[in-house]
Amino acid sequence: MPDQTSRDDRVAIDPAMHEIFKQLSDGADPEEVPFGQLKDVFLMAACLGYARKKRRPLPTKTRDIIRLETFSQSDLPVLYALAIATTGDVDILDQGYEFLTIAEEYANEGIHILQENLLNQRGRPLWNLVDLVRHEVQSG
Amino acid sequence: MKLDNIEIENFRQYGGIQRATFSTHSQKNITVFNGNNGCGKTSLFIAINWCLYGEGAENIGELINKEAARKTPAGQEVCARVKLSFRHGGERFISSRELAGIKREDGSVETRTKPSFTLMRIQADGQAIEIKNPIGMMNTILPSNVRTFFLFDGEKIDNFARPDSRDEVRYAIYNVLKLEILERAKNHLSQVAAEHRKELKQASSGELLELLETEDRKRKEKENAINKIQELERERDSAKRKIVDIEKRLRELQSARNLQLQRDGIQEQLERTENDLRNAVKEIREITIRYHSIIASDAIEKARAILDKKRERGEIPSGIRQQFVRDLLEQGKCICGRPIKEGDPSHTHLQGILKRSVSGALEDKVLNTNVTLNILETQNAGIYNQLESAMKRRVQFTDRIRDLQSELDDVTRQLQGSPIEEIAELEGKRKTFEMDIERHHLEIGKCRGIIEDRDREIAELTKQIEQAQKRKSKNELLTRKISLAQQSADAVDKIYQELGEDVRQSIEAKTQEIFKKLVWKESHFKNISLGPDYQLEVIDRYGLPARPELSAGERQVLSLSFITAMVRVSEEEAPIVMDTPFGRLSSEHRASITENLPGLTPQLVLFVTDEELHDEARKNLEKRIGKEYRLIFDPKISSTTIEEAT
Amino acid sequence: MLGSAMQEKVLALFKDYDPSVKAVIAEVLALEQEHLSMKNPRGVVEKIEEIVERIAKNETR
Repeated sequence: MPDQTSRDDRVAIDPAMHEIFKQLSDGADPEEVPFGQLKDVFLMAACLGYARKKRRPLPTKTRDIIRLETFSQSDLPVLYALAIATTGDVDILDQGYEFLTIAEEYANEGIHILQENLLNQRGRPLWNLVDLVRHEVQSG
Repeated sequence: MKLDNIEIENFRQYGGIQRATFSTHSQKNITVFNGNNGCGKTSLFIAINWCLYGEGAENIGELINKEAARKTPAGQEVCARVKLSFRHGGERFISSRELAGIKREDGSVETRTKPSFTLMRIQADGQAIEIKNPIGMMNTILPSNVRTFFLFDGEKIDNFARPDSRDEVRYAIYNVLKLEILERAKNHLSQVAAEHRKELKQASSGELLELLETEDRKRKEKENAINKIQELERERDSAKRKIVDIEKRLRELQSARNLQLQRDGIQEQLERTENDLRNAVKEIREITIRYHSIIASDAIEKARAILDKKRERGEIPSGIRQQFVRDLLEQGKCICGRPIKEGDPSHTHLQGILKRSVSGALEDKVLNTNVTLNILETQNAGIYNQLESAMKRRVQFTDRIRDLQSELDDVTRQLQGSPIEEIAELEGKRKTFEMDIERHHLEIGKCRGIIEDRDREIAELTKQIEQAQKRKSKNELLTRKISLAQQSADAVDKIYQELGEDVRQSIEAKTQEIFKKLVWKESHFKNISLGPDYQLEVIDRYGLPARPELSAGERQVLSLSFITAMVRVSEEEAPIVMDTPFGRLSSEHRASITENLPGLTPQLVLFVTDEELHDEARKNLEKRIGKEYRLIFDPKISSTTIEEAT
Repeated sequence: MLGSAMQEKVLALFKDYDPSVKAVIAEVLALEQEHLSMKNPRGVVEKIEEIVERIAKNETR
């Protein structure tokens, strides 16, 4: 099947949430800044969105934050898995970077979950994150 | 401007092409066109106006020659055209205006389009170049609004000397003397200055200053915080040193020694445990972010199931690649080496696989995914365990730290409660220093927070300042523009006032001079006055305005004097073209005018009837006539021809 | 533009002015002359704004 070049390989987010992404990944104190890189925030957000079965479409004006090559060899398959599980088929992988759109929409939902649970609560973000992931695993 | 020659085609009475040349001789500067009324005298006069300015031909009926129109077949075009060549400022020009019409079936001529006008400049090599902005050019040669002062109709000759002709006089002076230009320039420049002033008011003022002050303040606050941190660190370090000294002393004192050594041991452990805690936290952080694959384990499971199914159905050849299958088909061989032919069931089967199977690139992705997802699934359990273990350790370390701290407190209490005064005192001081250090830490933390905030704010302000600076330099330019426009307007105004006054006086003097030359009743009149109110007056010898007593002829002469005075003062190089100028003058006036007129203008063109120009008048003009023509109307062809008079 | 005697007078009145002002006046007068025959010449004010802008900008070079 031909590679559809309708989108590129840059991961995009809602510009309004850019600050949150930065806040969660930019800083030295591990208890304040739970994630080391933007891509980690994105992955977690995408998986959270999937777990809650919610996708939030991006606005028309988006902001590119990560190049696909930033993801490791073990990260990409997770993004693929999200796409395959959502569409029910592997064909999605054959449509250029369309699979990224699915991940972006899950992440756009997930980043709000991260904001709510990590930053808008009492306690330091890292411990809020631990609580969150433990909770997700238990209920999932 | 000096007229050279005219070519007139199918214009009013002039059928076919008629030509005439104007005299450009300096002495014999008069060109005379003789013709009776109705012959086309006025038409020729109009032709000149029409050619140069497109004016003077309103409400006079058809422009296209009737005979030419009649001869034109239906559906064909017929044109009226006037071509005038002249020179100005050392250059030669040709102006040409043409009105085209279509002959209709019913015999009438339809002129739907406006006349077309071209102005060309003749270069030294003879080539004619069309001028792109002909009206602009004509305005620098001889603008249309002063046309009537140079190409004038004898019937209107007394316009300026009539009572209440102030406006006409003013208009004349303003336009011929170009004062109009100064007045317009002054008004427009003032307008520009006023508009820019409005603009400047609307633009923000003092904004840049405010921003810079705020930025300054923020920077100072940040600097203060940095300095504060340094100070606090110094105090903290000093306190730490003091504690070290105290502990050293306590070690030396017999009764305190043991406790201090105990304390040393506890502190060492505390340090280690705090380090362990830090590492545990780091580990927790690293593990937690890998939790995403656990959270999405559902997706991973589903994806794997789908991939498995595809493999079972043979849509993902496990180990067999698409290219391989293609190669087989091409070679017509099966894996086992048996030949395959089209139509064979094995051939069909392979093709089926090929069709259903996925492309090479996708296959790589899929195989890769498969492998990784396998790994992730197996790892997930490990991740879970790791986190739980690290969290447990964190709790342990935190507890241990708490215990160690309470042990330290215990030591302090014992030392403080020592019967030996020195020991109690030292420990007391030590405790105080410890609390100071804690306080310093808090303060340092706060200051760091302030620095972070200020940095963010300063970055934002810098952006705003950049924008404001862009606006400011616009405002500076605007201010300069206002000043420049206003200064220019004021300068022009000043020039205009002084010049206006100057001009009026010059024209007054000149008019006087000319009037005296032209009027034979000189003794009656003392002076001409052209007041600031632009009323043209003749002053009698009693010093009173004599205008009501002027005869019609005298008024005409006054007007004429004024016009020629204007022309002289303006030093405008322009011909004077007069249509029936002497019709209403008395013979005495005619005589004196004809004697003096040629000397007042570089080129004089007269359209006269036979009665106008005879006897003394003609005698006066005779020696200065350079070219003379007769306009002859032939009723048979209803056309006038221009013939040179011998 | 004006007669030579007149022109001399104008130049004399001019001479004490700022060179930028002189430049503006010269261009504006030429512009007005070009549009003299029009009663309400459109676009003249805009053109004058351009002249002022250009000459004002040149000053800061």
